[in-house]
Amino acid sequence: MTDKTRSIDLANISLRDALDLAVLVEEEAKDRYEEFADQMELHHNPEAARFFRFMLAIEAKHESRLAERRRGLFGDEPRSVKREMIFDIEAPEYDEVRANMTVRQALGASLQAETKAFEFFEAAAGMVQMKDVQDIFTELREEEREHQALVRQEIARLPPEGPARDDDDEIVAL
Amino acid sequence: MTTTNAPLPTYQAKDYKSELKPIWCPGCGDFGVVQAIYRALAAIGRPPHEIAFVSGIGCSSRIPGYTTAYGFNSVHGRALPIAQGIKVASPELLVLVAGGDGDGFSIGGGHVAHAVRRNTDITYIVMDNQIYGLTKGQLSPTSPKGLHTVTSEYGSLEEAVNPLLYVLAYGANFVAQGTPADMAGLAEVIEAAIRFPGFSFVNVQSPCVTFGEDDQQVKNHRATMQSLAKLGHDPTDRLAAMGLAQKYGKELHTGVFYKNPDPPPTMNALIKERQQVLSEKAPPRSRIFDRFLQT
Ligand SMILES: Cc1ncc(C[n+]2csc(CCOP(=O)(O)OP(=O)(O)O)c2C)c(N)n1
Ligand code: SF4
Repeated sequence: MTDKTRSIDLANISLRDALDLAVLVEEEAKDRYEEFADQMELHHNPEAARFFRFMLAIEAKHESRLAERRRGLFGDEPRSVKREMIFDIEAPEYDEVRANMTVRQALGASLQAETKAFEFFEAAAGMVQMKDVQDIFTELREEEREHQALVRQEIARLPPEGPARDDDDEIVAL
Repeated sequence: MTTTNAPLPTYQAKDYKSELKPIWCPGCGDFGVVQAIYRALAAIGRPPHEIAFVSGIGCSSRIPGYTTAYGFNSVHGRALPIAQGIKVASPELLVLVAGGDGDGFSIGGGHVAHAVRRNTDITYIVMDNQIYGLTKGQLSPTSPKGLHTVTSEYGSLEEAVNPLLYVLAYGANFVAQGTPADMAGLAEVIEAAIRFPGFSFVNVQSPCVTFGEDDQQVKNHRATMQSLAKLGHDPTDRLAAMGLAQKYGKELHTGVFYKNPDPPPTMNALIKERQQVLSEKAPPRSRIFDRFLQT
């Protein structure tokens, strides 16, 4: 839990800062999916790239919805929670991807990310003092639960896979 | 108030990220390292144009190009002398050096001792993946004994270099280790290294997913890493640091091994002092020309 944030006092977080945190969590995930999509395109894996672009669009939608809610409640009040203070809360870890990964593996990386986010918001909801903040974190936790279910459904719908591409020997950097 | 009283950074991590897209293999540990560097730089808050980032050659040495700092992806093994020159010539710059274990402890190994003893105020970040990544998986100086690679088909016969012990033995005043498995911890030690006045060294266990060993990957780090702070290690105790550093290759310790509580003067401070002494003894400008005429 503590290794996911730095300089944020979760127990005493205000509603405004909680919303800002939520926006940044989505922004971080969105940026990571964009990086992954770029990586997959560079390494000639269009299927995994397409999936990561799809996830990027979803995270972007969540981000703008939360940002709108924050604006509605707090207008242009300055942010005191910064991107530098959070560490891969919903962003899939860098080591989850491989050049030759299959779409199933890409979905697996997303599932892990949604699970991490679920665990984060669950722990955060249990920690906070203020009722309205607790409600937000609980709501976000439930959203992550829904996302996990969606990803699981997608995995179940995938046709059985052939072997992964064997391109470990591809020239990666010159 | 949610946050601590620490002043908020003027620069954000994204301000240090360049437009260039990394061409590392997906999953490479270096992706996490560059993110930690962006965050550490944001915490320091120096504008990108006041930062010089020098590297040698290797996958890891591509890192300056992925930042908005001035970058010099130089010659294999020669990043340290170039960086020291930059710092001496332009003391106002924040100078960072990065590269691989091959770059730093093989071809460039001879420079490390001198960078340590000169104590120029630069930060040296080694992305230690125990292999030559760029050239496709040959033995590196930190490869464990017995490792099978394309250049050691029957297993390496050599003991690994221990980068932590190496720099501590030469008297380094700031020595730390991190891993992308703990991004917050890695950003923290890089920031502390940059803030340290003098030569600072950060060894990052940054796995190569393409040619590295399975038991050296980030997942394994997550399961085995031990925080020095949580172990109760006193980072002002050089001998204790050396004792812990001996576990390199067997245990993965993260955090600060050694931080001199009374840092000695840096090379730039000594040069300034020398310049002052000499300038007091120097003849007035108007008489310098006379000296040439006398001979
Ligand atoms: C003078 C010279 N010798 C050899 C090489 C070939 N070479 C390029 S990178 C490299 C080693 C790369 O390993 P490391 O420094 O550990 O970096 P990594 O790629 O693993 O990040 C070598 C031997 C070179 N470029 N220049
Ligand atoms: S070869 Fe290894 S060190 Fe180089 S980019 Fe690929 S994973 Fe990283």
